[in-house]
Amino acid sequence: MTAIALRPPQLVMRLQRLGAAHPTRLSFLRQLIRRATRERWRVRKDRFDLDDHGFGRAVYAVETPARTYSLVAFSTPLDAEKRSDRVIAQAWDTSYVLYDGLPDATEVARLEANAPLQEAGRFTSRELVLARANKSVRLFEEVAAALAHGRQPDEEQLLGVGYLLRTTAVYGNGKFGIADREEIASRPELSGSFQAEMLTVWLIRSFTLDLVDHIAHRRNPAGAARLAPDLRRALGVGNATGLGMAPFLVRHPLLTHSWFLARETALARVRAQPRAGEMERSAFLQAHTDLRRRVARWHSDDSRQAAATRLLGDNLDTLAENLDQLLAKPHPWDALYRFAEDHFSLEGQEACVSLILEPHGALIDDLGDTMKADETPGHGIDGSVTCGSLRQALVDSYSWAASVDFTEPAANARFWYVSAEKLEPRLGERFEEDGAVLEQPLATARDALDLAAALALEPASGRVAEFLLRRPEWRHAARRAQIVARFPYSEIHDNLIGAELRPVDILRAKLAFFGARSFDPRSDRWLRIALFSGEPLIEDVATTAPSGAAA
Amino acid sequence: MIDLSLNEVETLSAKAARGAGFSWGLAEDIGRAARRIAVEDENWGLAMLSLAENAQSFEAPAPARATRWRDGEADVAATRPLCPIRTAALLLDDPPPPSAMPLAILNIGLPIWLDAMLRRSNMRMARPVGLLMPRADIVVESRAGTMQPVTGRRGTIDKRTLAALNSFAAKTYVPESERSRVRGAGGGRVDDE
Repeated sequence: MTAIALRPPQLVMRLQRLGAAHPTRLSFLRQLIRRATRERWRVRKDRFDLDDHGFGRAVYAVETPARTYSLVAFSTPLDAEKRSDRVIAQAWDTSYVLYDGLPDATEVARLEANAPLQEAGRFTSRELVLARANKSVRLFEEVAAALAHGRQPDEEQLLGVGYLLRTTAVYGNGKFGIADREEIASRPELSGSFQAEMLTVWLIRSFTLDLVDHIAHRRNPAGAARLAPDLRRALGVGNATGLGMAPFLVRHPLLTHSWFLARETALARVRAQPRAGEMERSAFLQAHTDLRRRVARWHSDDSRQAAATRLLGDNLDTLAENLDQLLAKPHPWDALYRFAEDHFSLEGQEACVSLILEPHGALIDDLGDTMKADETPGHGIDGSVTCGSLRQALVDSYSWAASVDFTEPAANARFWYVSAEKLEPRLGERFEEDGAVLEQPLATARDALDLAAALALEPASGRVAEFLLRRPEWRHAARRAQIVARFPYSEIHDNLIGAELRPVDILRAKLAFFGARSFDPRSDRWLRIALFSGEPLIEDVATTAPSGAAA
Repeated sequence: MIDLSLNEVETLSAKAARGAGFSWGLAEDIGRAARRIAVEDENWGLAMLSLAENAQSFEAPAPARATRWRDGEADVAATRPLCPIRTAALLLDDPPPPSAMPLAILNIGLPIWLDAMLRRSNMRMARPVGLLMPRADIVVESRAGTMQPVTGRRGTIDKRTLAALNSFAAKTYVPESERSRVRGAGGGRVDDE
């Protein structure tokens, strides 16, 4: 088998390409679905105590082989003027926790006093995830009304939006008192990246579908229709994501490296295949058809995304026209990828990566287990190295940044900070707003170059430990430099404080690893997406035969 | 008392450390060390507050003094107590040679922090120290292996200490202006559907 080199970080880790990322079969929700299907997880409604308007509480219990987890959902009245996707909101239509076990009435009461408050509530180690979601108001009501009249809702309108509720935050890892990640990291079903969060969203999806059915039924007990199974399966959960998530990939360099390395390794494995078998061809065609259908429904008012989506549609048409001859070549998947690289937009290229991986579960799904990281190795600093060698490592790792002149205002235009009001990351304008003195250490390229310049003033044979003793302000940059030298996909190869920065590019990359689709930027700083649309319902996996490793 | 997750302990401590004047890189180290203290002692918050309040009264090891340690020469105390964080960072970044161990260090401030920082290494303090001991002469020795992180523990803290630590953490936050409130969070369109 011909070995194919991994796509290098200088290609993969650019913001524009990150901003064109597509979900793959290695994405976290796909990993969760595969495990749940394989292990036949069972879901039952332990409690569904909602009034005629759909307000009240519900508990969905999931039985995995080793443990039971429960989604505890609360649905509450919300004034229209308080409904906001932004993190500045203080009330929501629905709130949730993923509970470790099955809560009794006392526990449900405790959670009901806290979950609707979200950040203002207080939680315990029994809660693994905290989340909230708002209705997509107009659509939710139209669906409820149609069902109450015994009709199915308009399919095109429904799938054009793609979801009935939109989560605006899904918190894990110890936030507001919930369980630390370490407490669940050794459980096989939750050990992968964001598996508890994905399980929560998957269950929220079922709750939203049951909620609209319930409201319709209460309006017209004798004549209401239930949402048709194909529509239930087509709908996902929306999500609005903003700046708060953007620093994650920067702050977790080892984890970031593990995600990208797995995806790139998968791509290289598939490209190295000498030929395409019939099953793989057929699965590819199915994925291609599915993506074309999704692209046709992919709506965004963002002119840039709308243009990229149109071009993606054209790329997929071109791919269809050339598919037979590409797949007839030796190393057909490599030929296909190279064709995309030569002819398609970044959006088209990254979509092709996803399509190429899709038929090859048996070849690549094992890589899902590698998409996590013990971040401890990144904590230490090897201070025994010389200043000269650390400087050289910086020059090598950050050669891409050498052309950025941080004395130019445009290159240094922004600063990341934490807002006193919401304690969330924000992006400020350095030369127009106060607060740059409190800048967060996220200006990775600038700090790397400045550290290299500081080291250049030291004797090359001096030890880094002694340098850092005198200059502790460089400790974070020295630590990062040593991480980046060892973990090449750990760093975004672009200026994160430049005037041209579009934080949505970072958000999209992370969300694609979650398995998000239908990216809809609402500004350069936040976007909406859909999760689980078109995927199996969690209540169905116990009765769905696992479709084999290649599925 | 308030029950914090260890992630909250780490995040709060790192922010408070930064607010108290430690560099970003040292603040990261302090956050992780606070976690190690919290799993063993419910008064970890007082230890963190003491570190934040005394941050400016310590001094870093002078390079010449660090050289003496590495060379196995007897330590000579400075006027002010040594900063336990910067001392530990130096020892961790470039551990003393075996010939320099055990290493006696004089007049180290809040030695519990040196102890907590060293736990991710194969060094340790020869004798346990009290959580709030203001300063001590200590001995660092080698040990086999490093300590494994503890799970299933929480960090309790009383409201007053939490508020005091939050005051230090708040020094790292930027107050909102009307402009930043609109632009900084994302701006764009309203949630109209």
